[in-house]
Amino acid sequence: MDFSFTEEQQMLRDSVSRFLDKTYDFKARQTLVASEKPWSEQVWQQFAELGLLALPFSEETGGLGGSIADVVAIAESFGEHLLVEPYMSSILLAGRALALSDHDVAQDWLAKIIAGEAIAAFAHEEARGTAAPEFVTLGAQQSGGNYFLDGEKRLVLNGAEADILVVSARLSGVAGEKSGLALMMVDPKTDGIEITSFQTIDGRSAAHIQFDKVQVSAEQLLLDDAYSVLVAVISDIMIALSAEAVGIMGALLGATSEYTATRKQFDVPISSFQVIAHRLADMKIAYTKARASLYYTTAIAEAGQSTARDIAILKGQVGKLGRAIGEDAIQSHGGVGMTDELIISHYHKRLIAIDAMFGDSEYHFRKIGQAHD
Amino acid sequence: MNIDFNSELIAFRAEISAFLDEAPTDAIREAGRKVTSVFADFDQATAWQAILNAKGWAAPDWPEQYGGTGWSVEQRYIFAEEYRKRDLPPLLPNGIKMVGPLLIDLGTEDQKAKYLPGILSGEDYWTQGYSEPNAGSDLASLKCRARADGDDYIINGSKIWTTLAHRSNRMFMLVRTSDAGKKQQGITFLLLDRTDYPGMDIRPIKGLDGFPEQCEVFFDNVRVPQSGRVGAENDGWTVAKHLLTHERGGSAQSPTLKRYIEHIRDAARDAASPFGGNMIDDPVFQRDIGELEADIASMEHFEKLAISGHEIANDPAFPSMNKTMNSELIQRISVMMTQISGLEGLSLELDALRIGANVKPLGTYLDLVSMPFYLNSRATTIYAGTNEVQRDLIARTVSHG
Repeated sequence: MDFSFTEEQQMLRDSVSRFLDKTYDFKARQTLVASEKPWSEQVWQQFAELGLLALPFSEETGGLGGSIADVVAIAESFGEHLLVEPYMSSILLAGRALALSDHDVAQDWLAKIIAGEAIAAFAHEEARGTAAPEFVTLGAQQSGGNYFLDGEKRLVLNGAEADILVVSARLSGVAGEKSGLALMMVDPKTDGIEITSFQTIDGRSAAHIQFDKVQVSAEQLLLDDAYSVLVAVISDIMIALSAEAVGIMGALLGATSEYTATRKQFDVPISSFQVIAHRLADMKIAYTKARASLYYTTAIAEAGQSTARDIAILKGQVGKLGRAIGEDAIQSHGGVGMTDELIISHYHKRLIAIDAMFGDSEYHFRKIGQAHD
Repeated sequence: MNIDFNSELIAFRAEISAFLDEAPTDAIREAGRKVTSVFADFDQATAWQAILNAKGWAAPDWPEQYGGTGWSVEQRYIFAEEYRKRDLPPLLPNGIKMVGPLLIDLGTEDQKAKYLPGILSGEDYWTQGYSEPNAGSDLASLKCRARADGDDYIINGSKIWTTLAHRSNRMFMLVRTSDAGKKQQGITFLLLDRTDYPGMDIRPIKGLDGFPEQCEVFFDNVRVPQSGRVGAENDGWTVAKHLLTHERGGSAQSPTLKRYIEHIRDAARDAASPFGGNMIDDPVFQRDIGELEADIASMEHFEKLAISGHEIANDPAFPSMNKTMNSELIQRISVMMTQISGLEGLSLELDALRIGANVKPLGTYLDLVSMPFYLNSRATTIYAGTNEVQRDLIARTVSHG
């Protein structure tokens, strides 16, 4: 057994980390988030040049054939730098879904996405979060040679900027059924689509998208019987999001240990107080658990041996432990931990967002508990 | 990253399983089902160790030259898994997991030749003489004194929390041999060949679970040979710290933790929920056991990374994190067991817990053991250095100050 990154993965990790250290410090990130631009086009083009946009796709679809372990190797650094670029939405979600279909048009879109010439968004979440795809309700009514989409997608990351939407929809059956699901490619400018865009607490651009009798041709059907593809895409994004979270958790532990060692009250560094020291110890234990689960789960996923329970354990642990580390970091920083000026609060908001997406820790814990084996 | 599931390991698992299915006596199995502590029934744990030793499997973690199995880390993990699946009693840890590895690392050749065979076979039970009434977390302030006299030491003072001292025939202990310098500097590590030396008085202490597991030991001019010293005189603190790394880390704990979860799930299938139906279908139970299972899984991942040689185990805080995680998981498991037992856990059944007793438990096996296990498990965050001390140690590896 070897759970360590390979030499190649370590090099990839280091090069992405060095690039982001240089171009994506906290000040640059905050300037970007405060601007009109949803992400940095310059950074995105450099990602394309570095091959990062091609990384997770197979060589037949124009990618580099990277594995989930390669994605994890770079995603920790994305977390540490609080990257807002559409890597999750356009590459790992919508791009991955396009890649899993042999549809010609989908392959054309994928080529543009890999080249950094187009952005795709994954319109999947509905009212209460849709970690279990069987609860998708957005309807696709077949009529003549066309489909008519009715319903709403919530929190579509980069939904307002996307050139193409990949939409999960229900062709038949009711919420809770695994059959009857489809993935559609939809032009966001189609009549009947209403996009309400907003910024998220963690600095991303997102949108709620209303579909009112949106006409979609049969050629735009990417996949019918899409349940297993949806599960595969969501499984991998949960690992990638967990890697981001673990990167953040490590950064918060480092920042908090440094701050508590220099901040003096009652004439001594506050880390000399046992309550503070023990909180640091708890943060380290939490980080260690999350990190161990990330590397273990990544390795078994790469080997094709992971189960839904394994992924739920990772996402549940990262959600719970990440929130705990974020809250402990704010408490340890005191008043300044409450400000917008320090990176601490921004790390915490990203951890909260990661927990909420694709099932929070409570959801995953109950899923684990439900399993009757 | 590379995960290997090769056929050799599958064959190895089958070999282990066949032996573990056949070798233990009924009494040993009964002792396994009635475990309520880190320490299983003394007689059956000892009998089981003799059987394992005859097979050559008493100490899989030891180097092969001293009687270890020569198994890979994966094989040792599989052995632990199959062992736990059958609810077999754990071996008493003091010999195989504590003083044995210590002697292998730091003992003289004479000490190894003299003591290791008895540790391996289980013929010798070593009680641990560390804590004193006024030296617990602050262990280095210990006062039990050894004065050199010719080739001997003469010991005066007392030790407490000496587990199963009343069943022991040997003891390893820390004594004060000097008051000069820092308090850590005047401590010496001694091996005692007997626990019935003239002047030694062992008094069992009945615990909150009703069992006399712990003891207090008094020394009144007890004369022991200096040849039992490990390391140099006044250098016992170094020896003790070395031993603690074996006590706090070492072999995989997650197979044991996972086995408890299986028992809880089994019991939950039949246990009525106060909201109707059975606990296994109760959403709150599902969420709570899911959270616990996820946390146990992280411990398992941590252990598997460590045994595979991942850098995560090079962290200086590794033994303390390991001890903290494991002890707190055991406590949470024990709480959940009592929750499943509910009112059935309130009957005091000390007779039914004895091995070979002809007393039928009033409820299920889980009901029989859950409360004494819960009560005994309060000790997990106290022994081997309280978790407060562990967190101090962990924090030192984080702090930049």
